[in-house]
Amino acid sequence: MNGLLGVFDADLFESTIRLATPIALASMGAAVCERSGIINIAMEGIMIVGAFFAAFLAFYTANPWLGMLGGMLAGGLYSMVHAFATVTLHLNHVVSGAVLNIGALGITRFLMVVAFGHPGTTPSVPVSLAEYRWEIPLLSEIPFLGDVVFSQTPIAYLSIVVLFVLWYFVFRTKVGLHIRSAGEHPLALETLGVSVRRMRYLAVTISGLTSGLAGAFLSIENNASFTEGMSNGRGFIALAANISGGWNPIGSFIASQFFGFADALQVRFQVTEILDIPAELFIIFPYVATLVAVAGLVRHSRPPDTLGEDFRIENRD
Amino acid sequence: MGTAAWVLIAAGGVLYIASVFWGLVLALVGAGLYFGRITAMSGRPEAKRALRSLGRSTWIPAAGILSAVIIGGLIMWAVGYNPITAYGALFYGGFVANWHISVLNAAPLLFTGLSVAFAFKAGLFNIGAEGQYYVGAMAATFLGIRLGMPALLTVPLVLLLSGAAGAAYAFIPSILRVRTGAHEVITTMMLAHIARYLSSPFVRIMGGDPATSSHPYVTDPIQEGAELLRFAEILPNAYYRLHTGILIGIALALFVYYILFRTKIGFEIRAVGMNPDAARAQGISVGRNIFIALMGAGLLAGLAGFNQVLGLNHKMYQNLTAGYGWDGISVALLASGHPIGVIFTALLWGALDAGGQYMQRALQTPSSIVEILKGIILFLIVARYIYQVLGRKLRRYRRSLKGEAG
Repeated sequence: MNGLLGVFDADLFESTIRLATPIALASMGAAVCERSGIINIAMEGIMIVGAFFAAFLAFYTANPWLGMLGGMLAGGLYSMVHAFATVTLHLNHVVSGAVLNIGALGITRFLMVVAFGHPGTTPSVPVSLAEYRWEIPLLSEIPFLGDVVFSQTPIAYLSIVVLFVLWYFVFRTKVGLHIRSAGEHPLALETLGVSVRRMRYLAVTISGLTSGLAGAFLSIENNASFTEGMSNGRGFIALAANISGGWNPIGSFIASQFFGFADALQVRFQVTEILDIPAELFIIFPYVATLVAVAGLVRHSRPPDTLGEDFRIENRD
Repeated sequence: MGTAAWVLIAAGGVLYIASVFWGLVLALVGAGLYFGRITAMSGRPEAKRALRSLGRSTWIPAAGILSAVIIGGLIMWAVGYNPITAYGALFYGGFVANWHISVLNAAPLLFTGLSVAFAFKAGLFNIGAEGQYYVGAMAATFLGIRLGMPALLTVPLVLLLSGAAGAAYAFIPSILRVRTGAHEVITTMMLAHIARYLSSPFVRIMGGDPATSSHPYVTDPIQEGAELLRFAEILPNAYYRLHTGILIGIALALFVYYILFRTKIGFEIRAVGMNPDAARAQGISVGRNIFIALMGAGLLAGLAGFNQVLGLNHKMYQNLTAGYGWDGISVALLASGHPIGVIFTALLWGALDAGGQYMQRALQTPSSIVEILKGIILFLIVARYIYQVLGRKLRRYRRSLKGEAG
């Protein structure tokens, strides 16, 4: 029993924050995107595209920062396909998202063969972002908290920055208000002379940028190479985090910590081997946690009024 | 005359599926007879109308595939492969030389595609058909090994029970959707990952004694005689692995079509899919139909597992990336959710995979090019909407011209 409790140490909470990073980034982006009225189930695919380009650039330039930037931008660009399909072509949001997820698997497999000569896993990047672990002076001296929060890797810190930026953007700026109105009452917004389409394009692209950054985290910070399909359902977990968090960046971030905890716990159980049962029974932790969260919490949060609804203006499209 | 036409079409189709190519001629003669009969009985305009409705449902996919082939060719050319020889090998391999592999590839996609299509008609997105496939495959493997019944009974029983297992797995998202409103996209996806991972310990447990088992990543074979009938047992020249699972799939597609478009329950499901509020106003229970549609989708995807275990492999391999769920979504979207269309799109997807392998062996052109081609073809689901948007614009333009004239 003592061994079991031994799992709950500072390391576990440090890896909770680390493993929550991609989910938090994607889910905060999703909060912005879905506030504008566009359902985004494409984050899984956007993450994969971001992860590939991050690894690709980090490998060929030997500069992980360029990789990070490239992954983020690739995610943003790829998400604009979703914006184009849903806003301009009036395609069903879920259908478009599914197509993008499938497309991401195909694109990355093809590009892997073109750029690295084989599918599967890329060779390791020369320098990964994990080597830039930064122990913040003084703060990292605080017992427990210092180890857990203030000695993280770059994108993990960035996710906290993104939290504050997005919260401010969504709730304290005019554009943020317009994005929220696009999801609650698009016609009223359009009547005010603000383009609903533009707001939705912007919101989708923001979610693409954060998801791309989440992908970069997976390939060049948490790992040192890209593996096909490496997001492994995290895009959907992020969607669940966003719903559990009430379509709010702060709520999404907190909910993501819960899923990060489930993930960290399964890794610890696997590594320490204290319970003699198949590892797969641990691996499914985050998925079960997501299922439970969605089943239990969905009733208590209210989606934006016109989420998933198509917006058309007569005589223009 | 009408029956003769359908018999010809069916027999020709079965022969063609079994890689007997003149079966296609038979099927075409049957189709000719069918249209001849319409002409004879209802006159030429009626036959023309039937042909035109066929053309309307096929021209967009055909145009889409053609333009995807052109774009894909440009990409091949850009990365340094000769598109003409590559396409030659791809299509020769997929539709002629290795057509039997295409059919084998298509069979599981037909089931998962039908699953996605069925749920789609109720406005649901069964994105986790993959999970129901794994559960169906596990059920089929377990029963195939342990059932110990006479062979004649085993196959139909496993068919029923593996479908039931898939449906049972879909019970969780169904009940959650109806009772709490949890979106099936998230719940089925999470359950797909869970089933995927749980299949590994299952395979190890069913693999017999680890000390004597030569291979820890595969289960014991299913009991003798529990295998699905193979074409080679009725047609002497058929490829030895080609099994009749695809015929079950095609029969199922026709059955799903019948359910959806010829029964009350199908009507209700479609009504809920088109407009839940209107359906509710008509006294149709939205929750009940959503539940039925998702459970039915689970059943269909579970049968993909039956097809793979009893038809193709006769055992279950440890495999975390089957991908039948995602491909099933592609196939269903390509057919815009029409069960009969799924037969053709599943065969197309299967042929592209088989052709890609053939092309790689013949020309050393990487088969992953097919993935891009598939992606572009799939985007013509989006393009379908482009046509609609263009069509609408054109109509509006014409109307505005008329308005100005009047």
